[in-house]
Amino acid sequence: VKGLRIVGVLGATFLIATAAVAQPVVDSVVFEQGQELYQNHCALCHQDAGTGNPPTFPSLSGNDHLEDPAQIVRTIRQGAGTMPPFPDLSTAEISAVATYIRNAWANSFGAITTAEATAALDVDGFEAEGDSASVWDGVFTETQAERGRAAYPGACALCHGRRLNGAPDDPDMAATPSLARARFLRTWDGKSLATLFEYTRATMPQDNPGSLTDEEYVDVIAYMLSVGGMPAGEVDLQPDPEDLARVVIEPQP
Amino acid sequence: MAKTDDDDARAGAPRAATGGGDKPQRKGGNGLTRRDFVRTGAAAGLGAGALLGPDQADAQGTSTGLDDTTWDYEVDVVIAGAGCAGLTAAIRARDLGASVLVVDSNFDAGGRMLLSGAHVSLGGGDPVQGRDMTGESDREGFITVDPVEAPEELDDSVELLFADLNDWSVLDTKAQSAYRYNERDVARSWAENCPATRQFLIDNYVRFARVSGGHHGGGLSRARGARCFLLLGDRTDIKAGTITAEDAGVADPERTSPFAPVQMNDLSRSVGSPAVSNGVALARPLDFSAREKGVEFMFHRHFDELVREQPFSGRVLGIRAHYSPRHHPETGELLQSYWQNGNVEEQRETVSIRARRAVILASGGHAGNPEVRGMFYPALREPAFPTSGYAFQGPHGQDASALIAGLRIGANLAGMQQNLSYPTTFHIATRLGTRDAYTTMMPGHPTFGFRQSAGVNVGNVGFEEFIAVNQVGKRFFNEVRLPLKPTRSSYSYPGDRGTPNEGLEHTPHDWRNCRQDWVREMYNYDHGLDAALAVNEGSTAPHYYSGPLWAIFDQEAIERTGWELRAPYVADNGYSFKADTITELAERIAAGHEFQRVPLAHLVDTVATWNSYAAAGADPDFERETDAPMHPIATPPFYALSIMVVWHDSYGGLRVNGRQQIVDMQGQVIPGLYAGGEAAGGINKHGLGKGHVQGYIAGTNAAVEPTA
Repeated sequence: VKGLRIVGVLGATFLIATAAVAQPVVDSVVFEQGQELYQNHCALCHQDAGTGNPPTFPSLSGNDHLEDPAQIVRTIRQGAGTMPPFPDLSTAEISAVATYIRNAWANSFGAITTAEATAALDVDGFEAEGDSASVWDGVFTETQAERGRAAYPGACALCHGRRLNGAPDDPDMAATPSLARARFLRTWDGKSLATLFEYTRATMPQDNPGSLTDEEYVDVIAYMLSVGGMPAGEVDLQPDPEDLARVVIEPQP
Repeated sequence: MAKTDDDDARAGAPRAATGGGDKPQRKGGNGLTRRDFVRTGAAAGLGAGALLGPDQADAQGTSTGLDDTTWDYEVDVVIAGAGCAGLTAAIRARDLGASVLVVDSNFDAGGRMLLSGAHVSLGGGDPVQGRDMTGESDREGFITVDPVEAPEELDDSVELLFADLNDWSVLDTKAQSAYRYNERDVARSWAENCPATRQFLIDNYVRFARVSGGHHGGGLSRARGARCFLLLGDRTDIKAGTITAEDAGVADPERTSPFAPVQMNDLSRSVGSPAVSNGVALARPLDFSAREKGVEFMFHRHFDELVREQPFSGRVLGIRAHYSPRHHPETGELLQSYWQNGNVEEQRETVSIRARRAVILASGGHAGNPEVRGMFYPALREPAFPTSGYAFQGPHGQDASALIAGLRIGANLAGMQQNLSYPTTFHIATRLGTRDAYTTMMPGHPTFGFRQSAGVNVGNVGFEEFIAVNQVGKRFFNEVRLPLKPTRSSYSYPGDRGTPNEGLEHTPHDWRNCRQDWVREMYNYDHGLDAALAVNEGSTAPHYYSGPLWAIFDQEAIERTGWELRAPYVADNGYSFKADTITELAERIAAGHEFQRVPLAHLVDTVATWNSYAAAGADPDFERETDAPMHPIATPPFYALSIMVVWHDSYGGLRVNGRQQIVDMQGQVIPGLYAGGEAAGGINKHGLGKGHVQGYIAGTNAAVEPTA
């Protein structure tokens, strides 16, 4: 039964030791900084206990791919597959979150220094830290939001409701997350549109994830932003994770 | 219909169907006979010996005894209730050659099926599962999208479905094991008849979209649920499978239609071309097919009691039913069913209807009867809180008629404790400002006037925008947690989300599914409902009613949320109020709401205290600050919208066996009497799947009962 497994995995988390055991070589300040960054940017998909939701979101706990410092640093900066890029994380922040991931849960791969991270990213094709914009900067167009409004009823409204407030029309169905306004902003505060785009594309609609086109996904996101009162601009939001990663979701400045 | 007298004066001329719909054309005769003042014994050809039972003496002078019964109508199978169980049973019995009369207290067919989401969970290797396993389209070729579920998720069997329905290891989110209590014979029969019932529905104009997941108690080892749909088109035509945007209620976001009381949902993505879904795409095809096949309907007719040979023994011979007319709330005209072919017009106060073969009770549950549901939660005797679909169903909806009539002739009960489970049995609705808070309905359906306001569905998120107060104006719970159902996700019935794993990953009857750690992890009931129903200063003996509940907020809340407090969402009907001061608001509520029995004496103080909490950012009473920002209520005008507790489902009812025959308290079948759907207890299956299959079984067996 597709789309129903997230809860099952959440449910399994209690079986896994959640105590984070830092290795002696790991600086506890860096580890805690990495933990906070992880909670804000990674836990949505990879879960607090690093269990992820395979196969969509891989488990990080006990994942041997974490052994290669360069691969983890580059994946965070540039993204890979469903994983969105994080251009607004500094190299120091990336090394902190990588250190946390490599040493939390069942992992003990040791720390990654900022110097190691810098070296890993100092190759062709990896951009430096980038500028970021806000969802309040006019990042979509009115016509795009209108297209999203048209796509919304068939793709989203059954569960998320006509008002995007998580109240389904079918009264047998219980509440779902709000897709606009205050509650949405609290949940997504500080995350990028790339995270929202990739998360949505990987998990929604719940009964058939990925069944919209990439353009439809960004159109619906534009509609969600417009319902939340964010202003339209001159250029369509593009389904390009690198561009979307530079737009941050935040409360009205 | 073959009438034996000439009393046609009351029969109204059939009204033309509206909305461009082709009305069903009757094929062949039925066999219903009208038999005013005919003595039963002679009519039925019963010898005196057949009437002599051990309790014969008890029959003298009782309302259920045979001797004082004269029959106004006679038919092979009488069915009480035109909902999902009743309509299915009616068509099935008619297919097998029986003459069938359906009585219903409402003015139109469909019952709550018409208001439903039409998500029908069957399985056991049913034809829709088989279709999706091969990736084929439906037989009309409407579906052009790929299956949602992988073939292995659809690879089902009766054995696996039956195993699921007895899976003791599946707990709900309040840690109760519902399947453990299922009657095994009933569950087995249900599982065995699922594939045939799916085919039956398809054969009666019901179109199913792709199978997607399960639905509410249908077992969780495989994907078994599919929604019904109609294609949007230029005309409403059940045979062609099309419906107009106007009839579907999708042409105007604030209108519904006489055809569809609830606006239909867009299901295009699951079909591939413009399609709409909800109970209309299930109820109207069955309504149409029943009339086409010659089923007869008597609306405005409430089923009251069963007539049995002796009060507690012998065969059930028929029913008595009283006139329960529903009139248009504005024009006062008698409401008329959408189609009228096959309607029997009858306005006498009470009629007795002889069932030559059997009576089938399909008149629903007890959620609309506060006295009966008080058996499970005494505080819910509070009449302020109705059942779902109140406006459409009318005052007799879910009034326990089958339960009451069955008990009067000795029937047993089953599964009653299963009410105490699941989010939709009773809960707080997020639709504010209307008494009919479970159901969406816009102007355009003739019963909209009974609710007057569609309500504002603020969702769980809306509850952080106001304070909730009881009948004396006091807060009673953390508002943010008040509407939360005991569920973490969109469904939470056993068979949907009650276990660590689902689908192929689920192992039925595995102790790990209900290990203590998992139960602790899963439990998340917040008890806001219990706080809402608690005794308060306004509660008085003997019932100690807790009274109505109010959401109190100010103009700034509207600016934050964009709630549209205008027609058709709210109305001046006692369920929404507006005033320039809190004092005036309290006075208006007390004067204007039908169940507000005491003044909201504390409301002014409550708001002042709340505003001080909001300024301090801390709520020492309910710790609201831990869940959401706290907004002061300080900018006039001020508003109050009703918050409703809704009792939706009935679990538990008359004890039946695997043939849907009603069983008495000695374990003996009551001859000639069947039940299905919410009238029957013993299997914890929410909604349509239970009703259709049990109706199919009952119709199958009732049609071949020997004539009495």
